[in-house]
Amino acid sequence: MLDTLARPQTELEDQSFIDGVITEFGSKPGGLLSILERIQERNRHKYLSPEVLKFVSSRTGVPLSRVYSVATFYSFFNLEPQGKHTVCICRGTACHARGSRDLLNNAKLMLGLHNQEDGGADKLSLTTPDKEFTVRTVACFGQCALAPVVEVDRKIYGRVNEREMRKVIDRVDSRGKVP
Amino acid sequence: MPNQVKLKIDGEYVEAKAGESVLDAARAAGKFIPSLCHVKGLTPVGACRLCMVEVAGIPRPMPACTTTVQDGMVISTVSEKLTRYRQMIMQLLLSERNHVCAVCVSNGSCELQDMASKLGVTHSEFPYRYPRLPVDASHPRFVLDHNRCILCTRCVRVCAEVEGANTWNIMSRGVTSMLAADLNGNWGDSETCTMCGKCVEACPTGALAVKGKAVEEMTKNTDAVSRLATARGGTQQ
Repeated sequence: MLDTLARPQTELEDQSFIDGVITEFGSKPGGLLSILERIQERNRHKYLSPEVLKFVSSRTGVPLSRVYSVATFYSFFNLEPQGKHTVCICRGTACHARGSRDLLNNAKLMLGLHNQEDGGADKLSLTTPDKEFTVRTVACFGQCALAPVVEVDRKIYGRVNEREMRKVIDRVDSRGKVP
Repeated sequence: MPNQVKLKIDGEYVEAKAGESVLDAARAAGKFIPSLCHVKGLTPVGACRLCMVEVAGIPRPMPACTTTVQDGMVISTVSEKLTRYRQMIMQLLLSERNHVCAVCVSNGSCELQDMASKLGVTHSEFPYRYPRLPVDASHPRFVLDHNRCILCTRCVRVCAEVEGANTWNIMSRGVTSMLAADLNGNWGDSETCTMCGKCVEACPTGALAVKGKAVEEMTKNTDAVSRLATARGGTQQ
């Protein structure tokens, strides 16, 4: 509680980091992408908060609307806090034909996630309330020969079935386990 | 003269300034090329795809607004194929959002409506998407209705290039693209908006309108915006 109250603005430490990144990339064309990428990578929850976007805009002189436009255009950037573990399910054509929709529904069921609205084939990113897991979809991993493909914590698993996916998710899930 | 080029538009020889767009050259020669996203003086972006023309030697149609004239170019602005393309684009524009003329402030003075009738589009072959979209009435003077927006980015450009406020931009991409003020907050809460109203005047539809206007009451003065843009040494294209 105190933690959230004490952080209305970008922390000083973050600010100096952002300033460093901006001096490194600021003058290059397309530097904004590198700046946002570095900042997101460093963030504990791997996301860009509105405060950070505002700070980047004020320091680089890039209009806030442009920064927001860039951050929303690329699916790589997250504007919501991400979970500790990421389950990324391919929704490309090959994976879809091999049942990736069932995998996605299963992963959501397993982690207790609901779609707020069914956006159809659009990209999806859902995070559990305890910030442990994020389930997202991607258009293609480029591993269509291994369809259906699921990526858990940056490791790619091919020819996945329901049981295997559950096993992998169970393995990385540290909740309710004695360390 | 070195900065004068000669080209052929619909069989007529036309002289144009080097660096000029095909659209400007053709319009100066009295040709009709439909367009919705173009405003003279603002940077052309080729967003609406209505100004497609055929250039001899290039197999695909080219947007006239972002294609610069070259010496010896042979262009046709009218053909059966182009008419079909333009009508199709018009239908896609109409089916993408909720364009209901009967209840629109711009009914009767809407560029989208005018263009549809000019191109002979009476109905859409494509099913309407009927997306659920919000209306932002938080601004003290103006209203933004996403249902009527065609994403031409005229407002984005006039705000950035003429007013210099950079309040507007397009967020997200593809079918989920939407106009957003600053961090997609309420327009009325925007810290950058200067309330100048140029975006409203530049908007071709009823998406941006003056608050309190009833059906058919909103008329736009895009020419004034265009004059401002060119007077400030806007882009030559």
